[in-house]
Amino acid sequence: MSSKKAIKSAFESMLFVWGEPLDVKIAAEVFNINWKDAYDYFKELQMEYEQEGRGIQIREIDKTFQFCTNPENSEYIERLCTPVKEKKLSQSALEVLAIVAYKQPVTKGEIDSIRGIKSDRVIEGLVKKELITEVGRSTGIGRPILYGTTPVFLKKFGFKDLDDLPEIEDIEGIVNENSEDDSVKPQQITIDFIKS
Amino acid sequence: MSYKVKLDIFEGPFDLLVYLIETARMSIYDIQISEITDQYMNYLQRMQLLDINVATEFMVLAAALIEIKSKMLIPRMKKDGEEVLEEDPRTELVQRILEYKRFKTAAELLEQQEEYNQRIFEKPKEDLTQFTKEAEEYLYLDLKQFVKTFHLFLKKKKTLEDMQKKYRRVERQKITVESKIKHIKGIFRVKAKRRLSFKELLAPQSDRSDVVITFISVLEMMRQKSMVAKQNTNFGEIILSLKDKGGVEDTENRKAVGETVVLKSQKEH
Repeated sequence: MSSKKAIKSAFESMLFVWGEPLDVKIAAEVFNINWKDAYDYFKELQMEYEQEGRGIQIREIDKTFQFCTNPENSEYIERLCTPVKEKKLSQSALEVLAIVAYKQPVTKGEIDSIRGIKSDRVIEGLVKKELITEVGRSTGIGRPILYGTTPVFLKKFGFKDLDDLPEIEDIEGIVNENSEDDSVKPQQITIDFIKS
Repeated sequence: MSYKVKLDIFEGPFDLLVYLIETARMSIYDIQISEITDQYMNYLQRMQLLDINVATEFMVLAAALIEIKSKMLIPRMKKDGEEVLEEDPRTELVQRILEYKRFKTAAELLEQQEEYNQRIFEKPKEDLTQFTKEAEEYLYLDLKQFVKTFHLFLKKKKTLEDMQKKYRRVERQKITVESKIKHIKGIFRVKAKRRLSFKELLAPQSDRSDVVITFISVLEMMRQKSMVAKQNTNFGEIILSLKDKGGVEDTENRKAVGETVVLKSQKEH
């Protein structure tokens, strides 16, 4: 039986070689230890990196772990090599994604009804980007497709799992806050009338 | 009067409604329906004036707003002062706005999260084949076996060489149309006749492919206008005669001067 320190050290090396998110299950099988122990070791390792404020961090995505850079260093990395930035999602895509993430499994009809507007195209785009996927069929009339989020979604937004999504039930607070807030979004519309 | 307009497109009717309510500093729980409806309709009209295609969904919400507005006008007291306990007509709208706002907020959170995560970089999986390649295989064999195998190899090689001494591989002759044309012209020269039948062009042992290539060559010569063919009856004898490009039959001449010269003279024509 290898010592805990040796296993953690080995996990670190494995993460380095693997590059991609490494499934805890695979790592546990290598040492023939139980899943929970392996998971805890990864968590400890993650903590150590975090506490030391290292340039490499370990992130957790859907029961996998992966080496990634510390976001605080992004500026220097960009100076070094100007990495290609992924195009940001549009407002409507983010809205639909939020609805799917919080209400999954959810049908297109439910999404449309919340947004008050048809979302076919947006859903199609998100499915193409592999951020959401069909997860089954509703038992309702017409057996509409149910959508849910994918691990790609978790990774892109840096959530370790769906429980990691920020709380939004506290909507009352947000509403009141906004209504008292003086900064009404000014960027949304300005119409100037010019007399000619 | 001209307009200078800059507007971000609203994501949907609720987006617009929420914006109007927030701009008017109204409480979501106590929406001044009449005022908001006016503003909403105004906005739609302005969009139409600007030739922006207003989606039908915006119209649906407009209709809903007007319906609520009209319901609000109905007195909630009966004539005898008894209050009619009816739901506030705005309740459903408020619920829907709250629901929408909830996800709009979530979308904003996701946006921040997306931005933050764009600053995190990862490495793609490395090429691991150098670790996973199969190891070299060693040959475990005793000397006797090895010698025996080698002898077997030598023996096989010898039989193969013996075979090759006795037999020669025969390749099928590939005849091109060009060489066949040359050959046909040669036949005309040798036979010293102006006219020959198609059959006379074929050797006695001609196989099918030779007949085909001869026929194609004849067709090619006719195309080049260096041969004339006549066939009096269907399936009858084909009579061929050479001619030069000028149309003058001059096989005799060719026979005398030889082919190279003829080709040259043809060029001069």
